[in-house]
Amino acid sequence: MKRASATASVLLLILALMGFVLAGGVSAQPKTELTVALSSFSTEVLDPPLGGHLVKYYLSMIFDYLVGTTPDGQPSRDGGLATRWENSPDYKRWTFYLRKNVKFHNGDEVTSEDVKFSLQRNIGKRSTTGYAGPLRTLIQDIETPAPDRVVIVTKEPTLIIPTYLSRSLSTEGMVTPKKYIESVGDDVFARKPIGSGPYKFVEQVTGSHIKLAAVDNHWRIGTPKYKTMTFRLVPEEATRIALLRRGEVDVADVSRERVKELEKEGFPLHYRREEALLTMWWVLGPDGRTGPTKDKRVREALNLALDRAEIAQSIFAGRAEPAAIPLGLSWSFKEVGFKQTPDMLYPYDPARAKKLLADAGVGSGMSLDVYAYQLPGLPEGKTMAEAVAGYWEKIGIKTKLIPVDYPAFRKAWFDRSVPGAVGYFNIANRDWIGAYALLEKQAYTPSKPSDTVNDPEIDGMLSQVMRQTDKDKINTLIRGVYARLRSEHHGVPVVYLHSPYATSKTLGNWNPGSVMYDLFLDVLASGK
Amino acid sequence: MLRFIATRLVQSLVALAIVSVVVFVLARATGDPLYLILPMSASQEDFDNARRYLGLDRPYVEQYLSFVGRAVTGDFGISLRARRPVGELIRERLPNSLKLAAFAMGVSLAMAFPLGIMAAVRKGTGVDRAAQIVSVLGQSLPTFWVAIILVEFVAGRWQWLPAGGISGFSSYILPGFTLGWFVVAGLMRLLRSGMLEVLDSEYVKLARVKGVSERRVIWMHALRNALIPVVTFAGIYFAILVTTAIVVETVFAWPGLGRLAYEGISSRDFPVIQAVVLTTAAIVAVVNLGVDCLYAIIDPRIRYAR
Amino acid sequence: MLAEPAALARPEADGAAPPVARGWRLPLVPLGIIALFLVVAIVAPLLGLPDPQEQSLRNRFKPPVWEEGGTWAHALGTDRLGRDLLSRIVWGSRISLAAGVLTVLLASAFGAAVGLTAGYYGGRVDAVLMRITDATMSFPVILLALILAVTVGPSFTNVVVAIAVILWARYARVIRGQVLTLMQLDFVAQARIAGAGAWRIITRHLLPNTLGTLLVLVTLQIGYVIIVEASLSFLGAGIPPPTPAWGSMIAEGRDFVTSAWWVSLFPGLAILVVVLAFNLLGDWLRDTFDPKLRQL
Repeated sequence: MKRASATASVLLLILALMGFVLAGGVSAQPKTELTVALSSFSTEVLDPPLGGHLVKYYLSMIFDYLVGTTPDGQPSRDGGLATRWENSPDYKRWTFYLRKNVKFHNGDEVTSEDVKFSLQRNIGKRSTTGYAGPLRTLIQDIETPAPDRVVIVTKEPTLIIPTYLSRSLSTEGMVTPKKYIESVGDDVFARKPIGSGPYKFVEQVTGSHIKLAAVDNHWRIGTPKYKTMTFRLVPEEATRIALLRRGEVDVADVSRERVKELEKEGFPLHYRREEALLTMWWVLGPDGRTGPTKDKRVREALNLALDRAEIAQSIFAGRAEPAAIPLGLSWSFKEVGFKQTPDMLYPYDPARAKKLLADAGVGSGMSLDVYAYQLPGLPEGKTMAEAVAGYWEKIGIKTKLIPVDYPAFRKAWFDRSVPGAVGYFNIANRDWIGAYALLEKQAYTPSKPSDTVNDPEIDGMLSQVMRQTDKDKINTLIRGVYARLRSEHHGVPVVYLHSPYATSKTLGNWNPGSVMYDLFLDVLASGK
Repeated sequence: MLRFIATRLVQSLVALAIVSVVVFVLARATGDPLYLILPMSASQEDFDNARRYLGLDRPYVEQYLSFVGRAVTGDFGISLRARRPVGELIRERLPNSLKLAAFAMGVSLAMAFPLGIMAAVRKGTGVDRAAQIVSVLGQSLPTFWVAIILVEFVAGRWQWLPAGGISGFSSYILPGFTLGWFVVAGLMRLLRSGMLEVLDSEYVKLARVKGVSERRVIWMHALRNALIPVVTFAGIYFAILVTTAIVVETVFAWPGLGRLAYEGISSRDFPVIQAVVLTTAAIVAVVNLGVDCLYAIIDPRIRYAR
Repeated sequence: MLAEPAALARPEADGAAPPVARGWRLPLVPLGIIALFLVVAIVAPLLGLPDPQEQSLRNRFKPPVWEEGGTWAHALGTDRLGRDLLSRIVWGSRISLAAGVLTVLLASAFGAAVGLTAGYYGGRVDAVLMRITDATMSFPVILLALILAVTVGPSFTNVVVAIAVILWARYARVIRGQVLTLMQLDFVAQARIAGAGAWRIITRHLLPNTLGTLLVLVTLQIGYVIIVEASLSFLGAGIPPPTPAWGSMIAEGRDFVTSAWWVSLFPGLAILVVVLAFNLLGDWLRDTFDPKLRQL
């Protein structure tokens, strides 16, 4: 009797343990769900005109763009609502021919009225997108001669319209449903967005996740592989990696420093190569450069003091390349014919740096405030700032590290309250139009307060670009800008960053592309 | 008794009012949210427009009064970052914080009871010392470090438990344990000293002489006496857990109040900062009130203390 | 840290000093540990250690001497910028201990003053002071520190101020509670009859009887402050780099828990040992002065 009950107890125990192990074991991710863990979501609003840059990750699933983009950043006729577009000879009228039979998630058909409505809304007063301003000044009128044709009329001749309304920049080109928004209003729309993209909005819990469900058959991707797509906000990297290991997420952005560890365990790593340029600059005073950095030699010295190769190898675990041109977005180089020659790379020459400082009459006794902050995509931000400050200390400069968060630095930068202080950003790489857009913001004196250069020659070159329609002339101008940025040392370019994304071992092929703030998850989910 | 409650209620409201002023000032001191909301190309005119649209250009006193006036009805304004009513955001997140705190409280009590009883019964021995060290350990380790180590090993390597987010009962375990361990020491101490008080008393000595079993002495008399302060303090600890869980929430991607506050501060989102701090203060005030009432019922002398 | 219910401690009726040690003997181990760290912190500059702020990217993440690749030059290894870990821990002891002690001294001095005043005068004064105390106690410490960090930038001063500004309320409440009981005892009435003024009564009669409680609280809270600083560093509001502080060292090393484990582990152990020592010492003090102070 006793033996029987003992055996029974042991058996029960074993069964219980098995149950526990099975229940607590790794939950295999059903193949029809895709879960993406990101360290940052930006503003988390689902309305295109209110988006920051990072919202593209999920918004480009919900909405279609007027102009599509290939994963390597070229305008494409396949990915957007416009099957083709043409310009008038004077470059002031741009006609877009729309795809037929595209429907919004609520069944309404997409017409030119929606495109006009969306564009006006996306660049209107309420908009906080990056390029609404220039578009507002440029666009004179939007005509809808037919349900499948939109004509954009500009005040000045320009080449930028298709790119600015494409997937390669921000959210201005996203098409939203006019009837729906007019009937429910902006607030309801932001809560329950409806677009025409391959994934429908299901639910959002701010600070936690955004869940999308696939449309059955979409012109962009056919019948999608993944029935649902969920974006999870997971700020702590250890947790993201644990989720990946457990199979709870399929894609996670990871820091460069942990790449080796993950590679050893066999997790595929996909890189967005040269995704961003990490570049530093000096905050301007109210009327331009002040203090020691006014002298070109000092600026050159600060550049020569850095061992970029070592920074790339150690802080960025080898997932970075030394950069040579301040504000030089390399994806635009080829297009404009800019050749970065080896002598443009700053050598690591602290001795010469010290000499330049002495020549400029600065010697030791110069002090520099270096702001230190993290940024999305740059968890090494503070470490890098510390390291750079360390290099400058070695050539006799007294540095003071000011750790704040980016909004605080941005305010100081825009207010011009800390002239001469050093800040930085990991600027997303982009094609020539995007690069021009950036230069217009950060290297163009009339663009107070975000200007960081204050150079009349560069101003002259940039002001001509927007109005130019001769591509060769544009290329020459932009090449000139880059050359001068480098020759005048208008900043401290550090490295180009490769951004790693770790995926589950069963994910398969994925090209995350080289487009700003976009992962081309729809291509990953594509059933075509 | 009613007068006591009424007095304490008024006192709590006054405290809340003070908090509202302080947080109003502090939130505005953090900087200008417009720098984050408006794009880089915004002109001075855009700034002025936005300021007017968001009501940020009115005199401070007017802004404060409007804030308080609406807060009383539960309307905390619109989040500058999420463009949604703050009340909604809080309603979304508060239950998550409450549930996690409740779980953590459970874990805490589950640990504190055996440790406290053992320590009291075996007072002065190695068991007592060991129990003390185990509980105090929870207060001697930075919370985020415990959390990250648990995530790395228990969730990531050994894969016994979920790593983050809310996904059923098992996802409460790691964050709940991390949070709860922090307050085990306090609870355990209360139990231990409460029991010791009784175990050393004349009443118990008499009971022992009379032949009452040791087990009865411990469980019926000593423990009962120790429970009262533990229960009242559990309430206070619960309030602490709800309001200071920001680190645990960050590591475990738990969408609670703490994370909401952090996001609010990072984006200089005044309405969110104000609302979270007020909600937090209200929770603490309510719990304090409840605890004080409980104490007043138990010890009538307190009611008449000044 | 805790809110106080109205429950009070009960010192001896004649106002004499509290009884001598019950419970264990003098806790030598905690005292020894604290003394060791204090000594090390004070003599840090004389120890001939490498510069804690000197970085060398080539030497980053060198393991401790007993691991493969470790050297005696960096006995405990180096951190992500190649700085010597042992040196940073030693120098960090100054910062972390200073932060803990300073914050607690500030908070207790101010809090005791408020508590004594409120308890002695009672009435309106008490009501006003207690409302301010309540309001303060319900404001979360970490949020205040975050707000300060975001507003004026993180610094050693900000950390101390942010924590002290909330912490004092706890002292105020406990001390006030004690004072209230003391006030009902004979010796205070006698002092009044003898013509003693408020200042005299407070400093001569009330304060000495609260010192025991104060000492317990102070000891227990030093550890708490060091832990909070660590959490603040994790959130980006702690003592900023490149200053070595244990909390920020752990936070900096948290992504390398499995690869470069020494970067987080050693400062973590330092915090653990020191805070444990303070907590155990505080427990013993509390048991000594009056086990009935259980609400602390």
